[in-house]
Parts: sequence; structure tokens; C-alpha cells
Amino acid sequence: MAISAFEEKLNSGKFVVTAEIGPPKGTDVSEMVKHIRLLKDRVDAMNVTDHQSSVMRFPSIGGCLLIKELGGEPILQMTTRDRNRIALQAELLFAYSRGIRNVLCLTGDAIDIGDHKEAKPVFDLDSVQLIRMVRTMEGGKDMAGNDLKGGVEFYVGASCNPGCDFIEPQLLKFEKKVMAGARFFQTQGVYDLSSFRRFMQYARQFDVKILAGIIVLFSYRMAIYMNENVPGVFVPEEVLEELKGLTGPEALKAGIAIAARTIRALKEEGLCDGVHLMAIGREHTIPEILEISGL
Amino acid sequence: MERWSKQSLDRTYVPPCEQACPLHQNIREYVDLIGQGRIMEALKVIRDSNPFPSICAYVCPHKCEENCRRGRIDKPIAIRALKRFAVEFGGDRMVRIEQKTLFEEKVAIVGSGPAGLSAAYYLRRFGYPVTIFEAHPEAGGMLRLGIPEFRLPREMLDLEIERLIRMGVEIRTGTPVTSLDLLFRAGYKAIFVTIGAQQGRRLGIEGEEMAGVVDAISFLRDVNLGLRPLLKGKVVVVGGGGVAMDCALAAVRLGSERVDIVCLEKREEMPAGKEEILYCEEEGVVIHNSLGVRRVVGERGRVKGLELMRCVSVFNEEGRFSPRFDESSISYIDADYVIFAVGQMPKVPEDFRLPISRAGTISVDPVTLTTGRPGVFAGGDAVTGPSSVVDALATGRKAALRIQDYLQHRYPFEKEFERPILKEEMKEKTVEMVRKVMRFDPPRLKVEERVSRFEPFELVYDWESAVSEARRCLRCGMGAEITDQERCASCLTCLRVCPYGVPYVDEKGRVVIPPSDCVACGICVTECPAKVILLRRPSDRRHIEEGLNYLRMASDAAEKRPTIVGFACQYGLFGTGSLSPLFSYAKGGLEVIPVLCVGKVEVEHIIKAFELGTEGVFIAGCGQRQCARERTLEFAREKAARAREIIGGLGLEVQRVEVFDVEELDIRIAIEGFIEKMGALKLERSLREER
Amino acid sequence: MIVAQQKPLEEIIGMLIPYDRILILGCGTCVTVCNVGGEREVSLLHSSLRLAQSRGLAQGKVFSEYTVKRQCDKEFLAILEEKAREQDAVLSLACGVGVQVVADYLPDLAVLPGVNTVFMGAFSEAGTWDERCAACGDCRLAATAGVCPITRCSKGILNGPCGGAKNGKCEADRSQDCAWILIYRRLEAKGELDRMRRYYPPRNFRTTSRPRRIQGR
Repeated sequence: MAISAFEEKLNSGKFVVTAEIGPPKGTDVSEMVKHIRLLKDRVDAMNVTDHQSSVMRFPSIGGCLLIKELGGEPILQMTTRDRNRIALQAELLFAYSRGIRNVLCLTGDAIDIGDHKEAKPVFDLDSVQLIRMVRTMEGGKDMAGNDLKGGVEFYVGASCNPGCDFIEPQLLKFEKKVMAGARFFQTQGVYDLSSFRRFMQYARQFDVKILAGIIVLFSYRMAIYMNENVPGVFVPEEVLEELKGLTGPEALKAGIAIAARTIRALKEEGLCDGVHLMAIGREHTIPEILEISGL
Repeated sequence: MERWSKQSLDRTYVPPCEQACPLHQNIREYVDLIGQGRIMEALKVIRDSNPFPSICAYVCPHKCEENCRRGRIDKPIAIRALKRFAVEFGGDRMVRIEQKTLFEEKVAIVGSGPAGLSAAYYLRRFGYPVTIFEAHPEAGGMLRLGIPEFRLPREMLDLEIERLIRMGVEIRTGTPVTSLDLLFRAGYKAIFVTIGAQQGRRLGIEGEEMAGVVDAISFLRDVNLGLRPLLKGKVVVVGGGGVAMDCALAAVRLGSERVDIVCLEKREEMPAGKEEILYCEEEGVVIHNSLGVRRVVGERGRVKGLELMRCVSVFNEEGRFSPRFDESSISYIDADYVIFAVGQMPKVPEDFRLPISRAGTISVDPVTLTTGRPGVFAGGDAVTGPSSVVDALATGRKAALRIQDYLQHRYPFEKEFERPILKEEMKEKTVEMVRKVMRFDPPRLKVEERVSRFEPFELVYDWESAVSEARRCLRCGMGAEITDQERCASCLTCLRVCPYGVPYVDEKGRVVIPPSDCVACGICVTECPAKVILLRRPSDRRHIEEGLNYLRMASDAAEKRPTIVGFACQYGLFGTGSLSPLFSYAKGGLEVIPVLCVGKVEVEHIIKAFELGTEGVFIAGCGQRQCARERTLEFAREKAARAREIIGGLGLEVQRVEVFDVEELDIRIAIEGFIEKMGALKLERSLREER
Repeated sequence: MIVAQQKPLEEIIGMLIPYDRILILGCGTCVTVCNVGGEREVSLLHSSLRLAQSRGLAQGKVFSEYTVKRQCDKEFLAILEEKAREQDAVLSLACGVGVQVVADYLPDLAVLPGVNTVFMGAFSEAGTWDERCAACGDCRLAATAGVCPITRCSKGILNGPCGGAKNGKCEADRSQDCAWILIYRRLEAKGELDRMRRYYPPRNFRTTSRPRRIQGR
């Protein structure tokens, strides 16, 4: 029996689409609400990022509650960067009580790349330990071994990086996450299908669902910037070449085309179980991408 | 001499050059002073322990050079040539003539050779009335009669003897002494017998008395007294020592058709100096080794040639002179003249009643130089057999000290070195890291110009060559040491910064800086965080602080702040002269503190210079290529950077600290630019303060 | 060893404002080795402060200097009875441990820190010190082939690597290697990758609750 609608969709064999919703830096959630309304019926579930790139924002739990209110399917993202195990367990209790059933467990980007560089990095747990924590709580006890008065149950996921330049340690980590209890994965941006294929050959032996990450590029400069500054992103030369010399709407068009092309190829080859769209700040392009890629 | 008895802060080791020198001259110090351009001071150091440096500058066999550790890296330092440079540069200066008579006891010296002259010099310095008795019409002994003019110019010898006379030494020439009793009766309280070994040995072989055969001593005496026998024909000199070389060179200049040398020794065994052998061969003399003379062949009482036999070995197992021949291998050499230079013996009058050894020399106690006859001392060739001039000078000095002990009824106190002696070889790794620099050989006249003249053919250095040669010195034994192992934190900084890989960690975990490897660049001294490393030579330790202190006092007295203070390399300021333009800016308020290499400047020195109220501070190095040590300018730059950090934190502009490498820029332009900049900053500041 | 960095001169001068007679106290052990608080630095700081005075800062103050073998053992501080007698403040160039031991020893004086103690580390090359140990109290270097994940991984995670490494360098500091990639390579070379496959449970931060104390020896 599936724990959440998202899990059910994945189990059904449908090519699942999830999208990322970026919260605002402040209490004015009007943009976010607009995006949720735009996408809630077009995609199968929506992630709300948790202080992505270590920039302080409206929390993931808040965004997920909004999604729930507006009738969508939320995926809660939790990083271990900002809170210790007490706060993390507490948040899961709260999330469960509000009907949130999907959680993506991440370690989190380093404090130093964000805007509060002098903050204390917590990292009481890492992503693997966080996954285990969820499983422990599902067993009716907290991490200290005390009984929980009212338990939790979640569809647990994690991230992985099939495009990393040194893949072996990433595979080892992937395995550890699966062993710890992760059931679905949303990967970092995929551009090079051959390396993704190789990754999937390895990943297929595990009974988990994989959603390939698709980052929508909207300019050459942004692609370069992400390559150099954003952890986990590797945009290959060929893709950079496609964007070179283009600006503004033309560049965006090219980015959309690249994304759509990749999605179509993935679906046609049946390489994975779906895609996870990351269109940071350009969430309005997602419907167009889905249309072009035939979803 | 003063050095021996002074208790000093000198923690240096005695280097091999000083050790090997019979006079124990402070060679390392005077070579360094020449490199620094302080020739007068170098001359003073030389004269402190050498009574006749001008003579040594020409004829010393330089045992110091044979032992010079630079020889392991490339070639030894040309110490004798440097000494000659200093002596000729200084001329009459640094010579102290005035000497009062402090005592009554008269001392007589028999013989005016180098040992006698030296003893006279020192006894006179002590304040004794001294009389030298010389049988010949002119004083000098072997210096005049044995060494040819082209090796020791007569003016030098005459000058030194004249100085001695002006000091108050009485020299009675043409006065042979036949009996010592007469001298005692004449009132002399002590006598030093230095009659030399002026009798040439004979081999006692057949034909020795023929015409055309002469012994070296007689031959040289004639030549040196001005007689110029025409040696038309083939000349053969028998012997392998310095005297034989002198004879050969003289023969070349006397019109000979051809000169050959025949000697018992193998090439490497020849006792003559390598230079002398080289000079002979340059002038066409042919040397035949491992041959002994069996007999002289002649016709009608005149020599025609020599019958030679192969010498199988010269020394026996105990190292004693005991030649063995292979009589079956006979050869022959033509000769119109034969000069035997096979040894000398003293001619000691029986009336002296002195103990004579089996070799014919006077026997003395090695410590006191006494002969057994009360009040009679002996030394020089008369005791040792033929040896070198410098050995004789040393004996003369020793005799003077012993005679003084005797006259003052004191127990002779022979003190050797107070400082430890450097014994170990430099380690291979360090040898490799020292930059190889070609030896600047002193110039010589071309062979064609030499062979017809009796003038000296070795010329003196020019300033540049002298300074460059002096800077090759490794400064053995005056390097850095860790003065307090307790305060040493074993941080290993010295190990890590040393460009020569010298410091190491011993089995007990202590850091050691071996004196046999350290070349005294001073970098570790400035980098040690615990300040426990110091340079062994006291003047190295103090000179920058003293310079700063002096500047402070001068500024206070003149009530004027220096505009700019510059730490400039002494070797570049005075030695090579690459930094000498700095002096022309003194009137503009530029004060220069000479440092013995910029590697010794510390950050604190720069800060202290600013405390004097100066606008700007610079460090000027003689140039990284010219600098005798590695990486010194690099470290100076790091110190400057640190100083900039500090003054920056106090609101001072960082352009106020500069480092100049004279090889990369024109020092005049750089200094003028710096002065201008500092002037502008000063103006800005005073304008701001006015507001 | 303990590594520290000197405070900016401006900050030091600011700290000294309330005091007239100040003893600059150096330490002959760790801070000498990392070139920050030994005899040379004490002397240099003294000169720098005098220079500051000649420029109108830190007016009216009198400085003296001394260096003890170690400030963290009070047996070495007996000399301070004499040296600190007429002083108002001690400017200590020792690490934070030394400053506190001296402060306990001289409770009536102001004891000021002249350096920032930064970490426990090792010398790697000219002027470069790297943090190596966080004193976590639960050393796991056996499992990580001698590479400490707490000090050398910027997130300090135990089941690494995270997804952020690029070119083998850490996302937080591109000049540093990703410690977990380093650990991976070493374990792979030794054939011990299962050490990395194991699940490592969350750290016991109780070993690092402050202040820590060891009894008994």
C-alpha cells in the first residue's frame, strides 16, 4: 500500500514528473502561490527547497503546507545543515501531522556558499543518518530510544549525482542511501545521456525509483556560473556551445529546447522512472517544456 | 698576538687556513674585510700577526691555500695574492714605527734572515734593545741571497729592513760572530742564533768537483748579489724543491739554450710549490721525474753531462728520506752546466759550543727553543734545516716570546688556541648547493716578457678582481649556532629556511647547526622565532643594532630626523661598488646603514628605523647574482612585506618600505624616485597636520 | 600542534586603552613554533607598539617584555611574581589555554589575548599550517585511512562524500581537496573500501560538551 499519492504514481509505471518550487526570501508568498497554482495539475509532485545554496528563505515545511492547502502533492526537503537531530525529528512529527508524506533527505550545501557565511554549520547528521532517522521513527521510537506517542510514516527519498566527474564514491554513497532505506531518488542535472545510462545500469539492480534531474538553463553566463559555483552541477562543453552567443529570450528558448530534448530521450529509452524539473526562478517555462517533450 | 690572550665573545671555530698558517694569521677576517672594501682594516689584521707581510705576499708557500675548504667546491681562495693586494694598497700606512725602549736587557741576534728579523721585530715591540749581527755586507739572509729578485723584489726587502731600523733595531752588517762569549761579555743578556743553513749539500759522487758544476746556494748567491753569469748552453738542475725551481728560472734568464730539471721524486711527491713548477714549465723548463744522478761525466775537468739512474722510491715505510735506485736502468743527459739543489746545512762555528744533531743542525728544546747553553736560543733553518720564510717568521716570534719569558724569569707559557678547531669536512649535500665561482687568478706577465728580466712576473690584483676573489670565501667556522637548547622550540624553521640544508635533527631530537657546514648567510638568525640562533662572530651579531643606535644618537645630537634610512649591503657599498651611488644622496637626508649582507636584516630593524622618525626605509642588496649567498634578497623581501603589514596597521603608507635589487634596476633612478615619493608623503602629512 | 594567528595591531591597541603599564608575555612552545608568540614576535610587537606611540597612538603607556617556556603550566609562571608586579595588564601572546592559565594565576591583573587561537594542525610548507584535529574525543581515523573527516571535510560528515565535490575539490573551499574523495582513493588503494561502505551512526557530541575534563593522571 503506497504511503502517498506520489508513491502510487511511481509504482503505476507512469513516467513521473516532479518540479521544484523555490520559496521567497520573506513572507510575501504570492509568487510561490502563483507557481504552485500553475503546476499542481501538470506535475505529479512538487519539492520545496530547504534554503537552497545555503541562502536563508521561507522554510520548506511552510511551502509544503501551502501546496497541501492548494491541493497539490508536496515533497518536503530536509537538510542537516541548519538543525540538530532534536529539531529534525520534531519537524517530521509536525509534517506528518499536517498530512505531508514525502520527504527528501539531504546533507545540504556548505554554509560558505550562501549569504549568511558567519552562521554556525550544524551537520549534526548527514543524509544517510537522516534517512535512518526517519526509519527509526517509523519503528515507533525516537533516536534516543524513547517510545513515540503517535508515530510517522514517510515515502523517503534522497539525491544522487550521476554526472559527477569522479563517479565511484558517489555510487558507494548511493548504495549506502539505499541500504539506509531511501526509496526514491531525484538526481542532479543530467545532460550527458551516456554517463546517465552507465549510472542507470548500476542503479537498476536496486529496487528504487529514479527521477532524472533536469535543470533549465536560460543563458550562457548562468550555465557557466552554475558550473563553477553551484555544487553538484556539471554542464558539459557541448551544451555550453549551444548557448554561446545567445541572449535573452533566444537563450531561454535554447534552454527550453535542451531540456525538452533530454526529457524526450529519457522517456523514449525508458532509462528512468521520471524527471525532476529544476527551473529556478523560471517556473513558468515548465508547462512549455512538458508540452514540447510530449508529456 | 693580542687575540690569544683576550677573553672574548668570539665563538668562532679556528678555520683550516688559520690553523695551517705557521703565524696563525686571522686569514678569514682579512679576506672578509677585503671583500667588504675595507682594505686598510684588512691590512691592520694582517700586520697584527705578521711582521713582514710584504715579504710573505711574494714568497709564502701558502699552506693556508692548500688547506682552504673552498678547494673542495671549486678552487682555493688566492690568499697570498689577496694579501699582496692589501699590502700594496696600504703602502706605508698601518705601519707603527715608534717604539720606546722599556727594558735594559740587551738582546743579540746572530743572523739577519727572516727568523732573525722577525725575532728582532717582536723583541723591539716588547721594548727590548736589540742588535742584529750579520756577517754579510747586506742584511736579509736567504731573503736576499737565496730568493731571486723575480720572486722577491729587493725594494720590498730593503723597505722592511729600513722600517726595522727606524723602529730602533740596530743592524750591524759585515760583522760575523765567531764566539758567543764575546757577546755575553759585551753585555747582551740573551742571544738568538739564526745563522741559517747556507751550505749547499753535495752528493759525494764522482765528478762533482768538475768545472761547470755548482751547488744551488752558491749559484743563487752570485746571481742575487748582482752577478749575471752567462749560462750559454744546456743547464741541468738537480733537485725537486723550491730552490731547484728558483735555480731553473734564474737559468732561463741567464741565456741558457735549454734548462732541464732532474729529481728523485715523482711529480706528485715534489716538495716544490705547484705554482713554481707551473712557472718553470711555462718558461720551457722540462722536468724529469724519478731519476737520481749516478755520476757526473766530463772531459778535461769540465762537465759534459750526467749519468742518471731510475729512482724506484724516495721514502721508506716509515716515511723517512731513503731513496732506492735501480742501477740497471741507466740514462744520460747532456749538460754544459749542472746545479745541485739537493739540500742545505748550517755551518755552525765550534766556538758557539752548541749541541749539533746528526743532520748537522742545532738541537733545541722544541717548547723553549733553548740550546742547553744558558741564555742562548736558536731557530730557523739552522735548527730545522731548509724550510719556508713563514715558518722562520713564526719561529722568530716564538723565540721573542721565549726570550721575554727568560729575561723576566717567567715560566714559558705556551698557549695554543682558545677556540675550538674546525676539523670536519663539509657535507656533500652542502658542497653541491654552494654556487661554483671561477677563481680569479692574479695576473702574470706573458712568458715572452718574463724570460729576459729579473723583475717579478706575478702582478697584483686590481680592486675588482681582489674583491670578487675575496667574496668566494666560505667563512668557515663563523656561522650560526643555537645558543640555548632550552629555549629552542625545535620548530625546525632554521632547517626549513636554510638554502644550504645545513641544520639537522640529531638522535636526541635536538636541532644542530654544524659549524663545518654553515656558510654564515645569517638567514636562520633572522627567522628563528625564539631568537636563540646567533652568529659566532661578535661583529656580525652587533653591527646592525650598533648602526641604528649610532644613527639615533647622531639624529638626537643634530636634532634632525633622517628622511630616509637605507640598509645597504656593505659588499656592494664598498666592495664591488655597485651601491656606492647611494652616498651621493646623503645631503638629501638619506642615511645609509651598511649591513654585512641584506640576509641579516630583521623586521624589527625596519620598525626601529621608523622609530627614528624617518619617512621611508629601504633595503638595497648588492644583487642576487652578485651576492655570495643564496636567497638573501628573497628573505629581505619577505621581511619588507611583514614590515609593511605592521606599518599599514598603524596608518602609514606601505610604499614607505622598499627593497632594491641593484641588478634589476638603476640604483640612482630607484633612489631618486623613492626620495621624491617620501618627500611627497612628508609634505602631505605636514599639510594635513596644519589643518 | 596548536596554531594561532596574531591579532591585527589596531585591535591590540584598542584592547590596551584602559591600561598604562603592560607586560608583553610570550610563550616558548606552540606559538613560537608557528611564529606568532615567541621571543621574536614579542620583541617585534614591542617595537611596533613603540612605533605606534611615536605616531600618537597608545600614548602614555609603558611596555615591558618577557617570554616564559610555557604559559599553560603555572609552574613556569613563578617569574611573573616579579615581572608582573608593577603592571596593570599582561598582553599574552600564548594560545587561549595559556591566556587563561595566566589569568587564573594573576587574578588581579587584566590578562589580554594578543593572538587568535585557530586550530590544532600541522606545518605543510613555507608559512602554511593546516588544521588536522578537532579534538572530537572519538577518533575514527582507523576507518578513514588516516584522513580526519571532521577537520578536512567542511561539513564534517561521517558517511561521505556529499554531492558537491568538483574536480576533487570541496564545494565550500575550492582550494581544499574533498576529504572523502581522498579517503575513497586511499581505501581503494589498500583494498579496504568496505570501511567506507559501512553505515556510521551519528556522532556522540556528548564527548565535546563543554568544558571537557579528564580525570585521573
